[in-house]
Amino acid sequence: MEHADADPKVLDQPWRIWATAAIASVAAAGLLLGMIVLPVVQGRNAGISAFDAICRALGIQAGSPAMPQPPSAAQAIPVTQVAWSAELIRDLEQADRRNGEAIASQTCFACHGERGFAPDNRNPNLAGQSALAIYKQLHDYRSDSRFNDQMTPIAKALDDRQLIDVTAYYAYLTTGAIDPTTAQVGDEEIVRLVERGDQSRNLPACSSCHGRRAGGPTETPSLVGQNEGYLIAQLQLYRSGERKNDIYHRMRSVARQLTDREIARLARYYSTTLRQ
Amino acid sequence: MASTEREILRTEIGWAIVVAGVVGVIMVAIVYAGLAMHINPPSNIEHIDPKTLHLTGEFTEPNLGTKVEANGQVTVRMVATQFAFVPQCLVVPEGKPVTLRFSTPDVLHGILVTGTNVNTMIVPGYVSQVHTVFRKTGDLLMPCHEYCGLGHSQMWATVRVVPEAEFRPGADGKVSCDAR
Ligand code: HEC
Ligand code: HEC
Ligand SMILES: [Cu+2]
Repeated sequence: MEHADADPKVLDQPWRIWATAAIASVAAAGLLLGMIVLPVVQGRNAGISAFDAICRALGIQAGSPAMPQPPSAAQAIPVTQVAWSAELIRDLEQADRRNGEAIASQTCFACHGERGFAPDNRNPNLAGQSALAIYKQLHDYRSDSRFNDQMTPIAKALDDRQLIDVTAYYAYLTTGAIDPTTAQVGDEEIVRLVERGDQSRNLPACSSCHGRRAGGPTETPSLVGQNEGYLIAQLQLYRSGERKNDIYHRMRSVARQLTDREIARLARYYSTTLRQ
Repeated sequence: MASTEREILRTEIGWAIVVAGVVGVIMVAIVYAGLAMHINPPSNIEHIDPKTLHLTGEFTEPNLGTKVEANGQVTVRMVATQFAFVPQCLVVPEGKPVTLRFSTPDVLHGILVTGTNVNTMIVPGYVSQVHTVFRKTGDLLMPCHEYCGLGHSQMWATVRVVPEAEFRPGADGKVSCDAR
């Protein structure tokens, strides 16, 4: 069969015919299996006629639920009233920070400090905290989703505009520089928990949500440089379920797994760490 | 090195057989999964607003988990959120039809329950629904199988399949892992 001088087109011809036939038959087999055999056999299990099953596989008949939807007589008892919308986020970006400063200097400085650094270790620093986090927490105090003797009455006295303005004021303040001499970055076990989590306890890494630009839940607060006493108190409140304004248990299911020792060391780590 | 036409022919046919074999194996795997393991494409299209999922209706916290409806139908409602399932453990009866309903308030997630035909994506804006029957008792692992962020690898839940006699709903029809 070695015709060195034959026309290559003529030589190729049977190959082209056979290759086309092979591809066409694979495609035909695929169509037969995917559009006819699978839908018809699966449809029989779900009580759908062969014709309907084929139409649904072809996409010319809507994929209606094969079985009736379960009834839902659910009554909503939400843990927060906040819902993130584009308008809300735009309002936060366009807030009047001067008005916010005026409100803060009158009502908030006493406990949260003059530049957002609380003098009392049990009160949270607010300087440079994420606006979304501050907004959600104030809103939650106001709607009784989170409760605190001191904060609840203060938040209830704020109207929508004031709440947004004071949020923007605090979010805009610069975060503090941490004193390198007090920084604790050597606690290996805690660094591992913060950065890697614990697979065996179903514990995601703290930084998968709290890390800088980690891409976790919208309202996740920043913890770096937060006051130690405040952090310990909040983790204990989540663990006992007294604080339950975290949407879908995100923090309660984390805190439930932590020991007292871990809580204390995590608080120490976050209040002193230099890392973001 | 193939140089004569005959040698070229032999290698070409050899590789064509390999390719046809690979395509054939994939097709057989799909047909087997579809017919023997009952893995179906999702057919239920149902919209839901992810922004207000936690505020209204079916997927608010107190409503999640396993529930025996008034008509006896067993329904499981579950939320997949960064980076956990709510609830993290659920109880289902062996050998009875169960309807699983999932949704998410944030990003794309996915689930599969090991050793069963339950496998679906959970897409923001939609309710994913799977009807199934669990055939074996025991604790099954349900990992998130769609990358959803840094905590993805710690995102998993447990499906506890119990004999029907041990599946006892409370007065409100709810069944949870803690109560047992
Ligand atoms: C009387 C003292 C006091 C005053 C005044 C006060 N706060 Fe607070 N604030 C606290 C305490 C204490 C907490 C922690 C409460 C808790 O454990 O829930 C707190 C918590 C907060 C939080 C939650 C922080 C977080 O990280 O979750 C925000 C936001 C906040 N305050 C904002 C404000 C604003 C804005 C004002 C002024 C309008 C204000 N506070 C006035 C004592 C005060
Ligand atoms: C799944 C994401 C996620 C993970 C993982 C996570 N957190 Fe949180 N955390 C949140 C969210 C969201 C909030 C805000 C909850 C709310 O709306 O009240 C929060 C709040 C907190 C607060 C309260 C802060 C404040 O200003 O009031 C502390 C403290 C905290 N987390 C510590 C931790 C620690 C320590 C870890 C690791 C062991 C951790 N978190 C892991 C999402 C997460
Ligand atoms: Cu996920």
